[in-house]
Amino acid sequence: MSTAASPAAPAATTNPPVQSSVEEPLDLVRLSLDENIYVKLRGDRELRGKLHAFDQHLNMVLGDVEENVTHVDLNPETQEEIVRTTSRKVDMLFVRGDGVILVSPPAKAV
Amino acid sequence: MATQLLPLELIDKCIGSKIWVIMKSEKEFTGVLSGFDDYVNMVLDDVTEFEKVATGYQKTQLKQILLNGNNICMLVPGGNGPE
Amino acid sequence: MADVAPAKKSPSDFLNTILGCRVVVKLNSGIVYKGVLACLDGYMNIALEQTEEYANGQLKNKYGDAFIRGNNVLYISRIE
Repeated sequence: MSTAASPAAPAATTNPPVQSSVEEPLDLVRLSLDENIYVKLRGDRELRGKLHAFDQHLNMVLGDVEENVTHVDLNPETQEEIVRTTSRKVDMLFVRGDGVILVSPPAKAV
Repeated sequence: MATQLLPLELIDKCIGSKIWVIMKSEKEFTGVLSGFDDYVNMVLDDVTEFEKVATGYQKTQLKQILLNGNNICMLVPGGNGPE
Repeated sequence: MADVAPAKKSPSDFLNTILGCRVVVKLNSGIVYKGVLACLDGYMNIALEQTEEYANGQLKNKYGDAFIRGNNVLYISRIE
């Protein structure tokens, strides 16, 4: 199962750089190193930033990050949902892998 | 000396038969067990997914699925589901 | 163990049959992803191509490539 996948080391010299170089899911993340990525986290959080490093747990270091948090409040009288998003910028941050739901390179996003 | 049936041996005996899977959350599945592994990840055929809603259960039909064993709570051999 | 079972199919057998197919991945949160299964590993980490994200049956997002962390996955099924 879990082969000794080298954590953040992109120096995958054993594999020739063929076109379909995504052989395991983490390769997709490896290919996004130094690229801007989109990360969806638990708790309705989203991050956009440059992927500096990651490991096999999907702990990540992101730079120039924009964080968006979506809050849904319920008006107790009218029962209507009030959705609001808050946004902030962080120069550099560490993301613990267990909160990650999805990672995508936004450049390729349709 | 009664040889005891190990838990996973019981599940192995269910292969080819209907099984009812109850998740940790309020979600349940029925289907024919095609196979499983040590984590009790399961391959199920002719699956019905039951999601609890206010009025009862919302059902979804699926031909074949790989169910993650991580969130399984209980397995009922031959079970016909919550209804 | 019993090896006279009817068409026994282990999880890894199943995964090998659906590689490259259009699949639906449902997360524990209820969110559904549809896309082409590029690859996956023993943690059920998944790489999807041409990914569509659905919440409550409504299309919410599209991603060219998407990595889904395996701990969130409830099930994977092939789209017929």
